[in-house]
Amino acid sequence: MDLSPREVVPTAQAKPRKRPWAAIAVLAVVLIGGSVLVVKFLTNAVDYYCNVDEVGVKDGCDVGRNIRIQGVVQKDTYAKGDSGGANFVIAYNGVSMPVSVGSEPSGIFQECIPVVVRGKVAGSGDDLVFEGDEVIVKHDNEYDAENQDRLAQSNAEASECSQKG
Amino acid sequence: MTPTDTPTSDTSPIDPAAAVRRPTGTAFTRALGVASLVGIVWLVLFGLFLSPNDASQKAGVRILYIHVPSAWLAYLAFIVTGVSSAAYLFKRTRSLTWDRIAGASAEVGVLFMGVALITGSLWGRISWGIFWTWDSRLTTTAFLFVTYIGYLAVRGLGGSHQQRARRSAIIALLAVLEVPLVHFSVKWWRPLHQQESVAEGKLSGLMLFSLFVGIVSFTLLYVWLVLHRQRVLAMEDSLDDQGLDQALAERRAEGAQV
Repeated sequence: MDLSPREVVPTAQAKPRKRPWAAIAVLAVVLIGGSVLVVKFLTNAVDYYCNVDEVGVKDGCDVGRNIRIQGVVQKDTYAKGDSGGANFVIAYNGVSMPVSVGSEPSGIFQECIPVVVRGKVAGSGDDLVFEGDEVIVKHDNEYDAENQDRLAQSNAEASECSQKG
Repeated sequence: MTPTDTPTSDTSPIDPAAAVRRPTGTAFTRALGVASLVGIVWLVLFGLFLSPNDASQKAGVRILYIHVPSAWLAYLAFIVTGVSSAAYLFKRTRSLTWDRIAGASAEVGVLFMGVALITGSLWGRISWGIFWTWDSRLTTTAFLFVTYIGYLAVRGLGGSHQQRARRSAIIALLAVLEVPLVHFSVKWWRPLHQQESVAEGKLSGLMLFSLFVGIVSFTLLYVWLVLHRQRVLAMEDSLDDQGLDQALAERRAEGAQV
């Protein structure tokens, strides 16, 4: 006589006597990690993201406040600073802003490229300077194959980039 | 593939060692494996040698051919996990096979998401100048990654197969809601991460073709991995069931001796 209870009893207890400590530990790490991610994201979002033309105009983009500022690096404005930093001018919608950063920008930083700088606007009146802590290159979504014809074209475009910002 | 509960409804006595030796491959999966391998060779060929440098990012653009397919396949994997979980919860289609597909797909998705995060970080260092920033796309992607690691941990909490399937299915249905959040984060916030390129026609020629090769080969690899992993999970469940059967048989034998 087959007394097997297979038809009425749910399928097996997966390793019933073994405590799933590893899974519980991973879950704890996940909860802590997830909380850290949310907190870091929210605290980072406290720094307003402003275009150059919004400084002093839009709420949150005030002089003296920590913000992230976006603009295009203007041609022939880049110069290395005295103590390893760099100075350049960024512009957006026809409004420009001198930027001074303490370290040399990296990545594909170059003139005529959009950047986001973290820091704050100092000075007053027409003598505003953005004192940056970090420069991040903002690459757009356009990809073009590198070749000599395009290089010539992009050089021509670069010469007009001061008007683009 | 028709979802069935074969391993758990199989009542024939099977030697656990023999079950472990049972292969997970079939003629179809072998063909799929070969196709994905050929696709990856093509990807290496086009991604590293035949596609041109980008005008501004130079050779750094080649990370695109791994980064973007990895991210897309992770999205697909998590959506498959969500759909399979819904199929498990729906009474008319309830089968533990759906649960195993969900689990296998989530595991492969976490793998692809990890690749997307690592390659994205390396790409960020090359083009942006930094490995990481608390940008909306980056942060939501990391959160999605962590969420699915949590999902996999929940699957390992123990209990019966049905308990595992039910609780993980509910979590999967909640977690999959993060996928559109990640995808549209570049539109809802002002991100550092670029907007879409393919949909907006900003990628063309051999660069677009290389990306296409990456997506096709990674998709084949994903299907191959999920099929095998799902079968391995079925074997694990089967071994658990046989362990119970053995314990019941021993208990009955003890009863017979009394």
